[in-house]
Amino acid sequence: MTDPEDFDQRLARLARSTEALRPSAGFSARVMGAVATEALPSWLESARVSSRRLLPIAAIAAALAVVWAVQAERSVDDELATSYASVELE
Amino acid sequence: MDTLEKAVDRVLSGDASAFQQIVDATSVRLVRLGARIMGNQADAEDVVQEAYVKAFRALKAGEFDRRSSTATWLYRIVVNGAIDAKRSRTRRAEQAEMQIDPSWDGAAFAEARLALSELDDWLGDLPPDQRAALVLQSLEGLNNTEIAQLMGVSEGAVEQRLVRARAALRQRRQQP
Repeated sequence: MTDPEDFDQRLARLARSTEALRPSAGFSARVMGAVATEALPSWLESARVSSRRLLPIAAIAAALAVVWAVQAERSVDDELATSYASVELE
Repeated sequence: MDTLEKAVDRVLSGDASAFQQIVDATSVRLVRLGARIMGNQADAEDVVQEAYVKAFRALKAGEFDRRSSTATWLYRIVVNGAIDAKRSRTRRAEQAEMQIDPSWDGAAFAEARLALSELDDWLGDLPPDQRAALVLQSLEGLNNTEIAQLMGVSEGAVEQRLVRARAALRQRRQQP
């Protein structure tokens, strides 16, 4: 392949052979999916980004709320138990 | 004004769905170009998808000045994206079972992928800018002026890249 003609012939053959390359099935849909994200209105995009950032805080807040609810329920149960006991004593 | 330029007008006026027409009209040529530079269809599709997103963003921001045609502009984004990707990205494994559109000729597509693999083996050691210049000249049929415009360099720089690419390939061939 040192001869210049062979070199160019090889390039020409590879050019012809790769002419049939095509995007894989679904490529256009994937591109439009990516473009659709860009097409979101700026306020909606900001909300989407903010909501992603707030997700860990929201998860922690939800966990704290569950802990608080369980503790509150226990203290109500304790109060009720105490009042029943008081009634019985009377 | 051709269909592509009309579709750009529609996108510029806020109709994002018109971008589909731009993709339909250009994706075959751009993916083929990307594959010839990247040497791998999966990587080429990533590069071309990123190029479309960049183009859409630029259209939305009013950054496309239309000094060149839309096709040339997209071509430029893909060439530069492919060179950058080739410099930075680790090669992604080619998907053996890549699904092809049923309307394409399967045998020709399989032969094209074999040829792409041969091309990648042959040009694999070239620096990305030399490889891109050679692909644009010898496989895409562009002249040095067009290549210089696409790559954003002087014609002298293009000539230098082509000479170096050819010399490197010949030298490699002569090695035992």
